[in-house]
Amino acid sequence: MSQITKCEIQLEGKPADSVLEMPEPRKLFIPLESVRFSFDSVEVEENRSVQPGQVLARDLNNFSVPLLAPRAGKVKLGEIKNHIVLDEITQQEEEPYDHREDEAHIPQEMGSVGLKRYKLLALGAWQFVYDAHSSKLPDPFGTPRAVIVSTVNLEPYTAQGEAQLQKRLADFTRGLEHLQSLLEYQPIYLVMPDINSEFSRQLRESIRGYAWVKPVQIAPKYPGDNFAVIARKLGFNKEKDSPVWAMRTEAILAIDRALTLSKPSTVRIISFGGPMVKEPIHLKVMPGYPLKDILAERLESGPVRIIDGGVLTGAMVSEQQKGLTAECNGLTVLQEHSEREFLSFIRPGSDRQSYGKCFLSSFRGAFKERLNTALRGELRPCVACGFCEEVCPAGIMPYLIHKTLYSGELEDVEQMRVDLCVGCGMCSFVCPSKIDLRGEFVKAQEDIERELHAEEVQS
Amino acid sequence: MKILRKLFDSTRRHFDEGGTFGAFKPLYEAMENFFYGPATRTGTAPHVRDPLDLKRYMTMVIIALLPATLAGIYFYGLRTLAIIVVSYAVGGTIEVIFAVIRKEEINEGFLVTGLLFPLVLPPTIPLWMVGVGVAFGVLVGKEIFGGTGRNLFNPALVGRCFLALGYPSEMSAVWLKPGEGLTGSLLQWYDTAAVTGATPLGQAKLGEWANIGSLLWGTTTGCIGETCAIGIILGGIFLILTKVANWRTVVSSLGSFVILAAAFNIADPDRFGPVYWHVFAGGLLLGVFFMATDPVSSPNTNGGKWFYGIIIGTVTVLIRNLTGYVEGMMFAILLGNIVAPMLDEAVVYVRLRRLQNER
Ligand code: SF4
Ligand code: SF4
Repeated sequence: MSQITKCEIQLEGKPADSVLEMPEPRKLFIPLESVRFSFDSVEVEENRSVQPGQVLARDLNNFSVPLLAPRAGKVKLGEIKNHIVLDEITQQEEEPYDHREDEAHIPQEMGSVGLKRYKLLALGAWQFVYDAHSSKLPDPFGTPRAVIVSTVNLEPYTAQGEAQLQKRLADFTRGLEHLQSLLEYQPIYLVMPDINSEFSRQLRESIRGYAWVKPVQIAPKYPGDNFAVIARKLGFNKEKDSPVWAMRTEAILAIDRALTLSKPSTVRIISFGGPMVKEPIHLKVMPGYPLKDILAERLESGPVRIIDGGVLTGAMVSEQQKGLTAECNGLTVLQEHSEREFLSFIRPGSDRQSYGKCFLSSFRGAFKERLNTALRGELRPCVACGFCEEVCPAGIMPYLIHKTLYSGELEDVEQMRVDLCVGCGMCSFVCPSKIDLRGEFVKAQEDIERELHAEEVQS
Repeated sequence: MKILRKLFDSTRRHFDEGGTFGAFKPLYEAMENFFYGPATRTGTAPHVRDPLDLKRYMTMVIIALLPATLAGIYFYGLRTLAIIVVSYAVGGTIEVIFAVIRKEEINEGFLVTGLLFPLVLPPTIPLWMVGVGVAFGVLVGKEIFGGTGRNLFNPALVGRCFLALGYPSEMSAVWLKPGEGLTGSLLQWYDTAAVTGATPLGQAKLGEWANIGSLLWGTTTGCIGETCAIGIILGGIFLILTKVANWRTVVSSLGSFVILAAAFNIADPDRFGPVYWHVFAGGLLLGVFFMATDPVSSPNTNGGKWFYGIIIGTVTVLIRNLTGYVEGMMFAILLGNIVAPMLDEAVVYVRLRRLQNER
């Protein structure tokens, strides 16, 4: 498996570690779709009043993971397409969790562990857990081989563990204890940056004496923080029916909240950064928080692109989307490219950094760049420069998969292990022919699952 | 610049579909994107991209070729410029025609081919032959394979190979003595009086070894861009530092060449020239740095590149030392181009086996 090569993307607008608590919203616009979930099965009716923490909808394809009401309010279903709108918001204490009806789903033999795991699902903590290799939602009652807890988020820009953990280190360690109580013997790997910061010192201090937590230090270089990359580095290859669970800081805090206080986690800390944000910072918000209120007055003027997530893997926020999704861990704002540069390709380029050292900037140190959404070139056939392979953290051969996708069968593409692609986007980023490699592979993965493995899922 | 912008904006409609020159849209777009970076935006993640594009990539090769090119003009006179112009004009026209036929964008690849081709020609070559050669190279070497990125062979070498086989006397019988002094041949079209019969490699077959200094500076006879070793090495190192040329190909081809040439030299010093001489004479350096490293026609995989370089280095020595040919680089690289896909297949097979074991 290849090393993470030296290709760093330095983007302007890194969010400060401080957290801005957003004012209480008057209305919430909760999208029914997020990256992994689509909450199709709506469980509330029009004009019904809901309590905070009440289930609004579920995703039946993902272990019925619930979409919880972040606040008390009145439900409006038809007001905006694909959203549940909560009007007349009031801030009330969440109802404490009671042993609700569906405990019948819990496997009998799991006993109290099963109850706890169900509680995580019901209180919205489980949605922060990932299958490290597929990044899907793992079965809450499954048995993992190991658990990875990461405090590192390296993609520009997603929420920093450091910001999320401020003054909450005690909750975090208690959350780790809870997590351990759900497991039998499996190790918990705690991933932290390999730099000597106050944060990592505190973190190390706080887990001293927990023999079951194994600290793992990684270089702070994207995409080294990717769960699949970490898992493979730790020696856990992809195996069916034996997942590695992976989660970030916020999952541990949510687990703590669920199992210590029996309360749902609805408020979260997200990053808000990028070159077009006047004061990049972290925000304390809840799903459904109106995008309009977040963005108003906080952006530089000009055409912008709002991204749910980081610049490399995030999804473009459409005009139709009015509020934060349930899974959003950061908003990144870029300038939409519009100005065409005169004779750009023969400029010396001391102002632009490149993986190929083809610009004058190679003689100066790293600096933060004001990148926008320009493709920065024209689409061309692959020239076999090999850059994509050099930067790929998965150790696969992107150009080969690209060629095979055009000429060969889906089976051949599967043989090339497109399933190992973690979607980090580095290949597309460096490709001088501007080929949308990541997009092709994400689609190929879906196609393979749908067309070649459809029967397996059914049986 | 404003005027240019206006010109583009006011003529755009003629080139749109249904416009008077609708068929020439690729040309129009190529020109516009040449002057003004394209307006395209990223559609999906990743939302930002590296500034390097194919234009820049190819520009790097051209910059790297400049020392050798300038040396060629200095040594062999202004006619060299005319050769380059013909090469670009004919090669570019064919590229445009094919882009229009295929309704595809014009590719930057010919910018390199158009310059590389003159550099491997003898300075006395008739201009019409330059046109024929580049036309053949681009057509047969590239376009029939589907254009840049899909070609099996290096187009410049295909063109040269065609001329070498079709017009052997023009390609190897007459050579120019390079100009000397402050201005070299810069003030003349070309010096008809300075004709001679042999290159250092040719003389070597007769047992005369050119002196190392003149090989380094390029004050020997030879192809336009092949004589100035220092210029080529400078450009080549530049290419490797910018990651445009892959160092593995260069190291393995030069390395295997040096080792084998040394072995020959030790075995029979009278018959086989010394290593340094072999390295600096003839087309080896230009071939190693600029043609073997052509990413499209060399293997894609890094493993493949090692074997590919070894094949090129070895075959060159063998041809130079054991056959009647004086120069082996061209055939060695074309041979390398042929086996490149097979090398790739072998390396890919091994790598995929390893990946598949990881379930
Ligand atoms: S997105 Fe590209 S670089 Fe990243 S893992 Fe997939 S193939 Fe490799
Ligand atoms: S980076 Fe792009 S051009 Fe280079 S080998 Fe990969 S796909 Fe081809």
